[in-house]
Amino acid sequence: MTRPLRAAMRAQLLMSLRDPGDLFPLVLVPFYTVIFLAIMRSAGRSDLLGSAVLAPVLLNLWYMALVVAGDLVARDRFFQTIELLVATPTPYAVVGVGRVLATTLLSLVAFVEAWLVARFGFDYAIQVHHSVLFAVTLTLTAVATVGTAVVMAAVFVVGRTPRMLQNSLSYPIYVLGGVLTPVSLLPWWLQAPARLLYLSWAADLLRDCLQAAPPRDVGVRLLVIAGLGIASLAIGLLLTSRVIDRLRRRGALGLT
Amino acid sequence: MYVVRTSELRRVFVTGAGWRRRGTELVALDGVSLAIEAGEVHGLLGPNGAGKTTLVKILSTVLLPTSGRAEVCGRDVTTDTREVRRKIGIVFGGDRGLYLRLTARQNLEYWSALYRLTGPEGRRRAAALLERVGLAERADSRVETLSRGMRQRLHLARGLIGDPQVLFLDEPTVGLDPVAALEFRRLVRELQQEGRTILLTTHDMEEAESLCERVALIDRGRLLGIETPRALSGWIAAYERVDVAAAPPDVLDRVAALPGVGRVERRPDGGARIETVAEGAVSEVLRLLVGAGITALGVTRPSLEEVYLHLMGGHGMTV
Repeated sequence: MTRPLRAAMRAQLLMSLRDPGDLFPLVLVPFYTVIFLAIMRSAGRSDLLGSAVLAPVLLNLWYMALVVAGDLVARDRFFQTIELLVATPTPYAVVGVGRVLATTLLSLVAFVEAWLVARFGFDYAIQVHHSVLFAVTLTLTAVATVGTAVVMAAVFVVGRTPRMLQNSLSYPIYVLGGVLTPVSLLPWWLQAPARLLYLSWAADLLRDCLQAAPPRDVGVRLLVIAGLGIASLAIGLLLTSRVIDRLRRRGALGLT
Repeated sequence: MYVVRTSELRRVFVTGAGWRRRGTELVALDGVSLAIEAGEVHGLLGPNGAGKTTLVKILSTVLLPTSGRAEVCGRDVTTDTREVRRKIGIVFGGDRGLYLRLTARQNLEYWSALYRLTGPEGRRRAAALLERVGLAERADSRVETLSRGMRQRLHLARGLIGDPQVLFLDEPTVGLDPVAALEFRRLVRELQQEGRTILLTTHDMEEAESLCERVALIDRGRLLGIETPRALSGWIAAYERVDVAAAPPDVLDRVAALPGVGRVERRPDGGARIETVAEGAVSEVLRLLVGAGITALGVTRPSLEEVYLHLMGGHGMTV
């Protein structure tokens, strides 16, 4: 199963690199980085500059999962490749995961962009005090993003107004995911739903990796991110398979 | 040995259904029973909306039938989908099914992985197929830069990447210019010689005649019958029409009495439409009309749909 997965990843990477629409979110990253860094610096909060660099990375991670990866099944239906994909011996969900994985990896380029803007635009070099933990957390975050994007890709196909759903899932998740503002600073009634999102755990832990003090409860926090990621991936795979079967039954796999 | 077999296959689509509405039922396939032998090129001929694509979609496992049974290589298409998918290849007409931003080679290598070929095997087969369909020189060009004919040949290569025993060609030459269509048909003949079983849907009688050993006529979801292309061609030749701008009544009476003339429909303006029901009858009609000094006339051949209607109405073909 790894060869179809790798082939789907490679094909998606090649397609995204040649599609300005897929790359557009990466164009926005430097602008967001400038805004966040400028706010922190003008407020005299040099202790939050690291968070300001991290925020556009997480924001972009979610945005690309939502808009680019979340659109993959719908695009396969629109371009009528879906019937041919379903008719191969490889389960469609495997193809979907490979392509979402590629999009997620591509979205991590945002980290390099944000770092470069901070370094050369604001003369600030982000310091990662716990680099191994940072790398592990970022990897788990990417995996969890893949799982969530697979769920969204399946849901958007079934939904009657996927575009509206996509739009309405961006800013609320930025807030609940704590991409810029830690969840602990949100009103108490928002903190409980925020803790159901892998992004809020990931954002907190990534920010902690920038601090000199050793992060607390690392094992539990990593487990929560991994658990939420694996759960969403399992749900996504199941949902994709069900959605494909439903479309085959209804005769609505292709849009013709 | 039958490679494709359907029994009382039925597919009903429900359109316009909502929370409170039941929707309208559209019968796309109505009790189709068909058997295709190994190595046969079998045509599926019918007008748009006849149910040809629906049948191909069911056989290729992307659509579930409402009732009935369909098997490919002895495997049920609804319960044994994975095995069926290993044995089939699909080629759609038009621009469907290729990734425009990838090159021809990248497309084929991608699809080869989905058909579970190893990396080296996929690369080898992609190169061989590109050579075979005459695209070796454009192998590294993006699909979006290829002409329609080239894309269609690439479609065929994509359909062959898994080395299928059974190939479904769904109106593969639609939109192609005559030269590209001829080239495509040459490739299909080669595949036939390799012993692959091919189901070809088309609404082009000429295409069916040049490629198929047998042709199933399908209309409004029903299988009207299965014939050789030669028999179908004879029917079309038989049901010709001669339109005359103006003709004296006595001439039209003499035309009506000719053998093979089915009907003479006189118009109030003095013109008429003469319909023949036998091959060669039209030349006798023309000889008589020209001999009577009538030269403002035209001969037209009926569409397949019209032939079907004739057949349904009087020919007595198995329905």
